[in-house]
Amino acid sequence: MKNFSLRKLLLGCATLVLFILVWKLVTDAKLISPIFFPGPERTYAALEKGLSGGALLTQTLETVQRMLLGWLLASFVGVFLGSLVGISKRARAFIAPTLELLRPLPASAMIPIAIAFLGFSDNMVLVVIAFGALWPMLLATIHGFAAMEPRLYEVSAVLGLSRGQVIWKLALPSAMPMILASLRLGLTISLILAVVGEMLASRAGLGQSILAASRSFRSADLFAGIVILGAVGLVGSRLLSFGERRLLRWQAVNR
Amino acid sequence: MPVTQLSTRLPHGAAGSAPAASQPRIRIRDVTLSYGPLQIIGGVSLDIVPGETICIIGPSGCGKTTLLRMLAGLAQPTSGSVELDGAVIGGPNRSVAIVFQDYGKALLPWRTAAGNVSLALEARACPRAERPAIIRELLEKIGLGRHTEKYPAEMSGGMQQRLQIARCLAQEPKVLLMDEPFGALDAMTRQALQDEVLGLVATTGATMVFVTHDLEEAIYLGDRIVCLQPNPGRVGRIVDVRLARPRDQLLTREDPEFLRLRRELYDLIKDDHQ
Repeated sequence: MKNFSLRKLLLGCATLVLFILVWKLVTDAKLISPIFFPGPERTYAALEKGLSGGALLTQTLETVQRMLLGWLLASFVGVFLGSLVGISKRARAFIAPTLELLRPLPASAMIPIAIAFLGFSDNMVLVVIAFGALWPMLLATIHGFAAMEPRLYEVSAVLGLSRGQVIWKLALPSAMPMILASLRLGLTISLILAVVGEMLASRAGLGQSILAASRSFRSADLFAGIVILGAVGLVGSRLLSFGERRLLRWQAVNR
Repeated sequence: MPVTQLSTRLPHGAAGSAPAASQPRIRIRDVTLSYGPLQIIGGVSLDIVPGETICIIGPSGCGKTTLLRMLAGLAQPTSGSVELDGAVIGGPNRSVAIVFQDYGKALLPWRTAAGNVSLALEARACPRAERPAIIRELLEKIGLGRHTEKYPAEMSGGMQQRLQIARCLAQEPKVLLMDEPFGALDAMTRQALQDEVLGLVATTGATMVFVTHDLEEAIYLGDRIVCLQPNPGRVGRIVDVRLARPRDQLLTREDPEFLRLRRELYDLIKDDHQ
């Protein structure tokens, strides 16, 4: 088991190395003008300079903080509202269709509305992130509750569990696999919206710094920002799947 | 033993004038149940005295399970009433526990054996500090003492059904309802569980209503056997089981009375199937 995952890791790294190699070959051959497309060495140099000089590091922290705050807000609101709607069959029938209609709205389209109400502020970006990342969690919770084994509702009734206990002890754990998958999706959306929000509202962070780099043809800085964004997304997703495996240990047993 | 069985049954015959102490634990009065134009139960009346074990048999579709669900408060009669200790059963009630046949769906897969039993204790607000001792005692009583930290998926069908029974006992019910609980288990496990359930009922003094399609199981467990007839479900006959207790898988099943009852019930059920 351990050997297998080690092999998988090595193969994954090999693919990454190959990718960087192709990148280097393409830039060395100057297939695309270096003004727009820096090679891996220049990107790495910019990365090193940015992270040691401090500017890139603080910007990363700004973005990560924004992403996490928005994501946490979206998660709490999504799971909370989802529980309220999901626990009642009637509420599901009334509210779920409207939610399905609202969900496909691109969150970035909400930015002008958010700007109108909140101005170019950090709170505005936060609201946009929370609004956009809310949907997966909200709908996964509702669907998870709806998919709960009907027999368990009967068990809860016979045992005399209160509605709160049914939510906390039966419905949420039973919906947990769906909710955890949606949390990962929500984190990705949060990162995207954090960057878009920073670009549009010019708040400090990676989004703004990427935009600024691109406008002044500092393509190495631009790519350094993108690499960091990729790393942030990867680390976040990995941390969540680690938590997922721990929380869903009972599922591993079931298989 | 048979003498006391008889004496607990006697007040049943004289229900109207019986003193409060021997009033029926469960009284089913002229119960009917219809879904739209379809009548499932058509007028069932039955009194069950405390401590009695009633087995309900009948062909499929005769409303055995529906009747049990009404006793659990999970279904409401269209007319008539179901009473527990003189009070109408208006909904699910902690003093009436039910063991479902599909243990796999009734247990919480994300909780261990101990956690599943704990759910019943949490529901009745049993203080946290007292729970571990109660859980341990119940699981030992039902033969799961060494498996408290196992998840249901790590257990055999027989163990899972034991666990469901343990959870029902944690409710401290007056009435234990069993909906074909051993139908999905192999013969040996079934017999072992039959004896354990009889032991539990004897020690706790609980009243049991046991639905089964297995005639021998009904005779082996019951004080009385209610034969339901289908379309719509109604009581065909009530058969008294005068077999000594405690019962024994070999001796009881070889008893001439056991064999006579088996023949009698077989003929009854066969007629319904024609």
